[in-house]
Amino acid sequence: MTALTRWRTRRWLRMLALVILAGAAAVVTHQAIRLITHMRDNRTILGLAAGRDLAVADDAAPRLLFARAHFLMTHDQLNDAQHVVDVITRSDDTAMAAAALYDLGNTRLARAIDLLERMAVDAAIPEIRLAKENYRATLRHAPSLWDAKYNLDIALRLIRDFPEIERELEEEPRQTPKRLWTDLPGLPKGLP
Amino acid sequence: MRCSIFSCIASRLGRSIAAGARRGLPRLAGAGIALLALTAGPVQADSVTLLPARAFGYFLGDLVRVEADIRLDPGFALVPAALPQPHKVNGYLDLIRVDLSPGPLTADGSSYRLTMVYQNFYGALEPRAMEIPAVPLRATNGEAPRDLLVPAFVFTAAPFRELVPSRGGNPMALRPDILPRPYPLRPEIEAITVAALVGTLALLALALLQGWRPFTRSQRPFATALRALAPLAAAPTDVPAYRAGLITLHRAFDAAAGHRLLADDVAAWCRHDPRYSDLSSEIAGFFTTSRRAFFGAEPAAAMEALPTADLLALARRLAHAERRDPRPRPPAAALAAEGAP
Repeated sequence: MTALTRWRTRRWLRMLALVILAGAAAVVTHQAIRLITHMRDNRTILGLAAGRDLAVADDAAPRLLFARAHFLMTHDQLNDAQHVVDVITRSDDTAMAAAALYDLGNTRLARAIDLLERMAVDAAIPEIRLAKENYRATLRHAPSLWDAKYNLDIALRLIRDFPEIERELEEEPRQTPKRLWTDLPGLPKGLP
Repeated sequence: MRCSIFSCIASRLGRSIAAGARRGLPRLAGAGIALLALTAGPVQADSVTLLPARAFGYFLGDLVRVEADIRLDPGFALVPAALPQPHKVNGYLDLIRVDLSPGPLTADGSSYRLTMVYQNFYGALEPRAMEIPAVPLRATNGEAPRDLLVPAFVFTAAPFRELVPSRGGNPMALRPDILPRPYPLRPEIEAITVAALVGTLALLALALLQGWRPFTRSQRPFATALRALAPLAAAPTDVPAYRAGLITLHRAFDAAAGHRLLADDVAAWCRHDPRYSDLSSEIAGFFTTSRRAFFGAEPAAAMEALPTADLLALARRLAHAERRDPRPRPPAAALAAEGAP
């Protein structure tokens, strides 16, 4: 190896080291800024979870907005919560959007079941319909969220509104010549 | 099996006649189509075929994927505006995505692969066949539009929980909320750690390459020698000290060259390490003086040829030269070779 090639290699290595150093510095700076932002947001999230009424701007991160929405839901301010959830669903964070919509549906359905237990059926019906819409939107964002499927199933059994299918269902038994299921053993046939 | 001999024979006879008819029919039909082609121009051979898909076991919220291969006559293309758009099909079915891509068959005419993703929102109480309605499409060759139909698709929707809980429990018990959670900080901390480690290694490598203290790989022998020679300035006529100074500088030359440097090697070494080539005559002078001082046994005469002050000046210039970037100049021979092809 001549002195010239050695010198060239050293110069090349020096450039490489400088580039790596600059890249590492950029990564450290970027990640440090993220870390600081996240730590600050975490303080707000934990504060809201602890029940403190902390304000969150509409342009905040979806995770932060979700914490705010959940606080509003648990403190019986559904209209404000609906607004925050709308803001979250406009972001591209589908996981947060699904979580927020699911919690909103849960809040509404729980309220409706509470109303039903107090025999306030007329007040419960719109809540159930809204909850169904919330769950449906949840599943659009996260089709495999099993808890949303389960709770939507509960809501659908409270009010079944599949007019086109249920009508078919009612007509079908009349068309069948024999009502087979009445002959099945184990099914009660009525009073003795 | 209750079957009389006559009826058995009759049924077999009937079957064989039917089979014969089936074999003969395509040929007849083919001839008919050929005749039609001769009389009525090109035959319309557009086709829409559904790809086989799972048609059972769909729960509430599951995605149903309907794929169709569409093959059109040469010159025909689908009308994009007539494609279905994502929408709520009915109370229990959403069309959520439509993709159109070029199909696998491209021998003649144009072919497409249409993918439609539906979401099932029917809360089944028992397994039940559900129909995805047929989807109309439109193709055109610029003159005559043609209507096509993606056939209806039937799938079985199924329930995933009991109608009435058989083991008790509240059927109205909701699944719990998703609780807000703080950001996990681990990814950022890991990224910072790794980047800081890489950065430190790069900085270390840079320090080694640049020769920053204390990472300098090659010591600076002339700078060390200059420090060792400094007391000589106070006693410029001390002969033993002068001899000791010469030896110190010799050791520095040895260290710089990496081997014992003799007078005859000086010219070659100066060419090899061009930092010192400007000083080659002074270095040669130093070696001559040194030879006279040690082998000619006349240190006093040597001190006259190279006084202490000049010795110190040489050491200083050498120390200065060694700090320079050791960029070599191309050898003169190589330059001559490049100049004269």
